[in-house]
Amino acid sequence: MASESLTFEPQHRLHPLSWLFSLTNYIKNFIVPLAFLVFLGARDDEMWGLVAVVPLLIGALWKQWIYRYGFGPRGLVIRDGLFFRNVRQIDYARIENIDIERGLLHRLLGVAQASIATSTGGKAEASIRVLSLDAVQELREQVFSHRAEKAATGQPAPQAVAPTADEVLLRLPPIELVRFGLIDNRGMLVVAALVGFLAQGGAFELVMRNAASWLDAPLHDFAALGFAMQAAIGVFGLISALIAMRILSVAIAFVTLFDFTLSRHSDDFRVHHGLLTRLALTLRVRRIQSIHQTQTLLHRFFGRVSVRVDLAGDSGVSEEGKQQSQTRTRWLAPICTPDMAQTLIATALPDVDFTASPNWQPLAPRARGRIFRKSVYFGVFFAALTALTLHLVPEAPFRPGMGWIPAVLAVLLPIAWWRAHVFVTNTRWALTDDAVMFRYGWLTRRLIVAPRNRLQSVHFAESPFDRRHRMASVSIDTAGGGAMRDNIHIPFLPEQIARALMVRLYHSEIDRGRVPQALPPA
Amino acid sequence: MPTEHVDRATISVWRWQWIIATLIPAVSVTLMLVNSGRTPWGATGAILLAGLLVTWLWPTAYYRHLRYGADETGIVIERGVFWRSRIALPRVRIQHTDVSQGPLQRRYGVGTLKLYTAGSRHTMIELSGLAHADALSLRDALLEGSSASGV
Repeated sequence: MASESLTFEPQHRLHPLSWLFSLTNYIKNFIVPLAFLVFLGARDDEMWGLVAVVPLLIGALWKQWIYRYGFGPRGLVIRDGLFFRNVRQIDYARIENIDIERGLLHRLLGVAQASIATSTGGKAEASIRVLSLDAVQELREQVFSHRAEKAATGQPAPQAVAPTADEVLLRLPPIELVRFGLIDNRGMLVVAALVGFLAQGGAFELVMRNAASWLDAPLHDFAALGFAMQAAIGVFGLISALIAMRILSVAIAFVTLFDFTLSRHSDDFRVHHGLLTRLALTLRVRRIQSIHQTQTLLHRFFGRVSVRVDLAGDSGVSEEGKQQSQTRTRWLAPICTPDMAQTLIATALPDVDFTASPNWQPLAPRARGRIFRKSVYFGVFFAALTALTLHLVPEAPFRPGMGWIPAVLAVLLPIAWWRAHVFVTNTRWALTDDAVMFRYGWLTRRLIVAPRNRLQSVHFAESPFDRRHRMASVSIDTAGGGAMRDNIHIPFLPEQIARALMVRLYHSEIDRGRVPQALPPA
Repeated sequence: MPTEHVDRATISVWRWQWIIATLIPAVSVTLMLVNSGRTPWGATGAILLAGLLVTWLWPTAYYRHLRYGADETGIVIERGVFWRSRIALPRVRIQHTDVSQGPLQRRYGVGTLKLYTAGSRHTMIELSGLAHADALSLRDALLEGSSASGV
């Protein structure tokens, strides 16, 4: 076996047009800023960009010449490297996912990019750029049939490979995408990113140079208007900006999530979406660590929720020990009705019994008071800080007097009370035989469900304030999500209950019965 | 679960660490003040006094609140003087372990046990101050029978 692996030479080559995609990928980070600079006239060395492309082209062609992949006896073998030859072998049994990505150019040329991921975490273990569609199909079949063989230890490959019909669980019609775009304000992020990008590209210097002459006349006119008119223009400008942002969000939702389809393929979920770039992703059910359901004010207005999953090894720490940001949100449903969400959650967590309704428990009785006081202290602190700053800055437009803090309190107290009240009424936790559930939130309400057989560690914490009120918090860690993402963290529990909860979670029977083996025997 | 303290010798390790942590700012402040021609005694004295107070009180207080216990399910670690926390880690979740010893720890025969999980927020759970031999035997006890998958 070992000698076979040693002598195995991968034979498959990339698609003949691969160099084009390598080249595009190389220069994507390069050309766009360059084009902006040229466009804005901030630099005049336009030829420089063209000269830089030549070595990149040679590199891309060379890579295509060198690159080989093949289906070895134990795993997928990839040979790569411009100067330093690198041969990577990925065990079939360890391959969790083959994600297919097809941009507009890919689709025109009938090719696709395949990313191969194991459960190591961080980015994909291998990104094969690009293959013909037939080659992709072969790659998938080879990998999954080898994996099934390995799992069955020598038995002929079972039905897992036989193409079972996909059962469609959710398909989003355009109207849902419009709703999603309205709710998910991604337009704002894009505008913010664009502003940052332009600032870097020197666009603002250009604007500032000319701003005086451009704005002189309009500003003069504006100053001549009455206060009511000025305010109206201001409000109108703000509202149109908000509307434009939402329209942009809807457009983005359309492009990225067009024809979102969630289907079930034997034991796994498959997700397809995208208008220009088509994505085909596999969500392996046994990799799902927890499920997050989100409901913002707008979600409630439309009677919808969003559901996403955390997969094992999706983010966290990569091989090199660097923190990787999660590449994409793993949607189960970007938007769906609450009933649909329940069905999807139950399907995605087959180990969890959802037939009995969970016994939801409240926070400690005095939690509301603590949340209320906390926001009041923070409010007063920031109000005092603002007042102090305004006093110290000589050209401040106005100086709040002694009445400032009572005025702030008059506004703050009712809101803080209402917030504490709503938060406490909506926050509940439940422990069932096989899962921990936690729902919380004030305006945006979230629900997290984590199967108990996915717990990595349990944490119990008491701050000095907690101890004064005989409270404590309990949180759990799973293999999914990242350091930045929320996992279940239940604050303001009565201390005795927190202790008991921790003990019960710790003694969750992780290895018993229905729990599937996460990794098949190698 | 019954829990126990770590090795008392670790208090000396922590004391030395605090002494070093006090001397570095004290020396640099002194040098800075002397260079700018001012008398350094007030500032240096304040740093030294605060540092010595912490060196005297903190290690024992921290030691008093640091407890651990292992059973057939896994390990529980309790720590924190003001902010108290308790971590429970089932042994089947331990991916791999480290037992490390710094130069000061070697001098006092203590070590640090590091337990790695596949978690996302707490990928490494550390228990410092165990006698080195205890750290090794605790590691062996925890790894025994944890052959099951960790995800």
